Amino acid sequence: MSTHETTSPSKRHKHPSPANHYYSYIASILLTMIAFLLVMYGGLDKTFLYGFLLFMALIQVTLQLAYWMHMKEKGHLFPIIGIIFGGIVALTAVAAAVFWMWW
Amino acid sequence: MSAHTHEADTLPLEPEKATLEGKNKVLGFWLFLGGEMVLFGTLFAAYIALRNQIPDGPTPQELFKLSTVAWATMILLTSSLTSVFAMMAMHRHDLKMMLIWLGVTVALGLGFLGLEIYEFYEYVHEGHGFTTNAFSTSFYTLVGFHGGHVAFGILWITLLIIQGTRKGLTVVTAPKFYVASLYWHFIDVVWVFIFTVVYLMGKVGP
Repeated sequence: MSTHETTSPSKRHKHPSPANHYYSYIASILLTMIAFLLVMYGGLDKTFLYGFLLFMALIQVTLQLAYWMHMKEKGHLFPIIGIIFGGIVALTAVAAAVFWMWW
Repeated sequence: MSAHTHEADTLPLEPEKATLEGKNKVLGFWLFLGGEMVLFGTLFAAYIALRNQIPDGPTPQELFKLSTVAWATMILLTSSLTSVFAMMAMHRHDLKMMLIWLGVTVALGLGFLGLEIYEFYEYVHEGHGFTTNAFSTSFYTLVGFHGGHVAFGILWITLLIIQGTRKGLTVVTAPKFYVASLYWHFIDVVWVFIFTVVYLMGKVGP
C-alpha cells in the first residue's frame, strides 16, 4: 500500500516543539485574566476599554488559530482562504449591526 | 510481533493527512468552520444590535456574574489544551494517551456545560427569561448556540473515543480525531469572542 510507505519512525520531529502550545496556553490565560481584572476593578474609559478588550481577544484567537489549529504549518493556504471568506461575511454582519445601532 | 506494534511501525508520520480522503476531510472541515464563522457572526450581529433593548428585566450589569464566567473560560481554555495533547499523542502514535487526553477534554467540556446550565438557571430565576426582552432573546440564542456546539462536541468526541478503543489508530480513524480537535478549538475561539463581547463589554456598559 503506497499510503503506508511515507515514513520511517526515525523522522518524527517535523512537528513544531510542544513549547509553542504551552506558550499559547500561558498567553491565553494571561490575556483572559487581564481582561477580566480590567473590567472587575478598573474604572477605565469605556471607549478605550472596548478597544483594548477586542485587541486582546484578537491576539488570543490568532495564537490559537496559528499554533493549536496548526494554521502556521505548511499546506494551509485553502483553509486560510476559507476562514478569511467566513470572517469577511461575519465581520460584514457585525459591522452592519454596529453601524445600524450607533450611527 | 504483535498486531499493535506492527500497526505503529507502518502508520505514517501524520496519519490524518496520509491519504487523499483524509486531506479532503480536513480541508472540508475548514470550509465548514468558515460557514460556522458566518453563523456565529450573524448571531453576534443580532446580539450587538439588540443588547440595549431592555424595556423590562435585568440589565447586563445587574445580571452577569464575572466569577462564574471566568471559571467557565478557564475550563474551556484548558480543555482546548488537552485536545492539543491528544493530537500530540496521536502524532507519537500513542493511542492510549490520545484517548485519555480526549477523555479529559470531554470531562472539562461537561464541566463547562454544567456551569452554563447553572448560570442560565440563575438568570431565569432573576427574571431574565428567553422571551423577556430583545436583549435576553439574542443573549440566549448566541450563548445557547455556543453551548449547543459544546454539547454536540462532547457527544461526538465520546463516540470517537468508543470507536478508537475498537478500531485503533489507522489512516481511516486519524482524520476523525484530528477534525474533532479542530472543532473543539473552534468552540474555544468562539467563546473568546463571547466572553469579550457579551460578558465583559456587557459589564462595562453600553
